[in-house]
Amino acid sequence: MSALTLYQLVALFLLSIGFFGLVWRRTLVGMVISIELMINGAGLAIVAAAQLTPANAVMGQLGTLFVMGLAAAEATLILAIVLIVVKRFNTSQAGEISEMKG
Amino acid sequence: MEILAKLAFVLYALVIITGAIMAVTAKSLVRALVGLIAVMIGVAGMYLLMAAPFVAFMQILIYVGGVSVLIFFAIMLTKASPDGDESSPNSLRRGLNALLALVAPAVILSCVIIKHPVASISSPADVGAFNLGEGMLGSYLLPFELISIVLFVAMAGAVLVAWRKWGNK
Repeated sequence: MSALTLYQLVALFLLSIGFFGLVWRRTLVGMVISIELMINGAGLAIVAAAQLTPANAVMGQLGTLFVMGLAAAEATLILAIVLIVVKRFNTSQAGEISEMKG
Repeated sequence: MEILAKLAFVLYALVIITGAIMAVTAKSLVRALVGLIAVMIGVAGMYLLMAAPFVAFMQILIYVGGVSVLIFFAIMLTKASPDGDESSPNSLRRGLNALLALVAPAVILSCVIIKHPVASISSPADVGAFNLGEGMLGSYLLPFELISIVLFVAMAGAVLVAWRKWGNK
């Protein structure tokens, strides 16, 4: 098994356990943590594909840096939205946040 | 890979696997966050193994130093209960759904990865911060400028979204 395959399997593990957590968790913050797991896996896969194949290494590393920037922006916005939701519904359990009854 | 590199890879993989399992199954969200930080540090170690030190240190700086603090603030500000937010038992249906979400991408994608392996080069390209900076101000100038706009809009938007509610109260 080549080195690239090993790194890709680790990235795939992060992706699938992130999916698992996204479905399994009931609080909004727990879901954010799962999403961060998946983003880390994506970065790992991009850098592995850039560094261990003849592809353009600068492009791959810059792509991962951009992914990190987007993740930071996304985390900021999610924090603001979660704050608003908790202020309004007094809970961060995703199942209890609903306006319409029935 | 030499023997030392293999050992380091196994070590980082163990850190990542334990951290990830802790991040999705821990009852308390703070413990889940600690697991997430372990995953981030393990991924940074893998970047170092792939001869991408700049990305590794940025990973530690941005994720371990920034994003995890943000998530910790989110945990604190959402009035987390002391015995864990996820301590009540989960329903069986949700467990089955989660297991399906774990298995389906894992099986499909690992079949693809293992059946069609791409030959990897033995010594990774040596790309330093100099090359990255040249790329950022050269051929990838547009994404670089766009990400700065995205970061600014996210920051301003977060302040605006959180401000209005608190202004009314």
